[in-house]
Amino acid sequence: MPHDEIRESAPVLTFPRQAFVSLLVFAIVWETLSHLAPYLGIPPFAIPSFVRIAQSLADITPIDIAVTLARVIAALIASFVLGVSLAMAMYRSDSLDKYLHPMIRILMAVPVVSWILFAVLWFPGVEFRICFVLVVVCGPVFLVDTLDAMRGVPRELRTMMQSFRPTTPQYFVKLMLPAIVPTIFTSWKVNISLAIRVVTIAELVGAVTGIGHQLSVAQELFSVADVFAWTLVLVTLLFLLEAVVARVETRMLRWRT
Amino acid sequence: MILQARKGGPPPIEVRGLRKVFRQATSGQAVVAIDRLDLTIAPREVVAIVGQTGCGKSTFFDLMIGLEAPSEGTLRIGDKSPHANFDHFRGRIATVFQQDRLLPWRSALDNAKLPLELIGLPEAEQRERALTWLKRLGLGQFTNAYPHELSGGMRQRVAIARAFSVQPDILLADEAFGHLDEVTAAELRETFLALARECGSTAILITHQLEEAIGVGDRIVVFGKSAKLLADIHVARWPKSKHALLREAIQSTLQSNKPDPRLRRAKKTRAAPSARRAATGR
Repeated sequence: MPHDEIRESAPVLTFPRQAFVSLLVFAIVWETLSHLAPYLGIPPFAIPSFVRIAQSLADITPIDIAVTLARVIAALIASFVLGVSLAMAMYRSDSLDKYLHPMIRILMAVPVVSWILFAVLWFPGVEFRICFVLVVVCGPVFLVDTLDAMRGVPRELRTMMQSFRPTTPQYFVKLMLPAIVPTIFTSWKVNISLAIRVVTIAELVGAVTGIGHQLSVAQELFSVADVFAWTLVLVTLLFLLEAVVARVETRMLRWRT
Repeated sequence: MILQARKGGPPPIEVRGLRKVFRQATSGQAVVAIDRLDLTIAPREVVAIVGQTGCGKSTFFDLMIGLEAPSEGTLRIGDKSPHANFDHFRGRIATVFQQDRLLPWRSALDNAKLPLELIGLPEAEQRERALTWLKRLGLGQFTNAYPHELSGGMRQRVAIARAFSVQPDILLADEAFGHLDEVTAAELRETFLALARECGSTAILITHQLEEAIGVGDRIVVFGKSAKLLADIHVARWPKSKHALLREAIQSTLQSNKPDPRLRRAKKTRAAPSARRAATGR
């Protein structure tokens, strides 16, 4: 085969030097400010030292992390199933799309705070209230992303697939679903970040467990160190969840490398 | 034996008074893509369809696949319509497109297996058949490679393996070799033709390259505007020494949108071996 050649690509791994430097600079500035606070007229609790934050971190209760994590994962799975199922139905039926599309646009425009207020007024159960808010915020993102991805499957591939005469389930399983997998992963990453932020706000109202509740307690106690510690936990949780998704993504999309 | 020709052979293709009209989305104006086409293609014939851009070749291709319904007239393969009896032709019609149209998330082997999965063959048989075809097409070393790891020629070979893997009655190729370099295209054309003959499939190639049409087809069907049948040429009636003349005559037909007189004269010569072969199923 004189005209043929295999193309190769090699992954490049580099140490994130810039990110490391910027974090280090931030930590130094914070620590310096915490020591200079009394001389600058700033209340001592406002900028706690890292030693104080470490003490707060040591007092973190794992059960609250587990509860928040469970709420986020359960709500994301429910949002994903609901969003993707509706997207597939809307892709198949133009009239369903015409009926539901304006509703989805309106749902997406409603602020999170409004949803939380609605949930508090409508539902007495805290767990259902939090789940409702997360699903109503994250579900439409999954739906719109999935629908866009399905519509973005190249016409050439759709025609090729149809020319081999698949059944409807075969068409979805062998073409549509694999084709939208990259978008679904992006959607998961966006929604994980969204869910972590939304669950915290939802837990602020009425919940007696979870990171949002602990943040509320810290606020009542004027403990910036506790707020900082729980925020660090949230950020770490977000990064961990994103890393898990990224790992699954790398495995499932290895054909792209 | 996987590469055995089908028993019984493919059914003939009958096109009668075929008309396809599209309505433009913006103006609502009717556009006649195919206007009352009559055409018969015998089993196992290799027919090249040539015509200028916009003459209705691709619409005819879509009608043959069954993705479009005729506005008027009939297109039948045997006693069935590829559109109305869409599912009947699963595994019986296969296509090779201009671009390879491989699924990027599937390896070469999995791409070649795709039509076999759709017809529900057992996994082991799917694998064996797909491997056989990939090997036949010189890709035995690259069965696990993803499309982006292969060159254009190799990807088109996978697409050909995918089409042949079901041993279809009808093979459709739409400008399948047009985008490849001349050497690779010639090599693939020969392979395609040899495999089509070996499989006993009827092959319809849509092309704008006259050299390709003359080199591959038993027959060359020349489409004018709205797929008007300008000429139906049995290539075997033209000795190799007259191929340059044939090329000129087709070129002139395409440019003037009416049959060149030189093509009519050739019709009066003796019956072509290719036509006889097609008629007898050999």
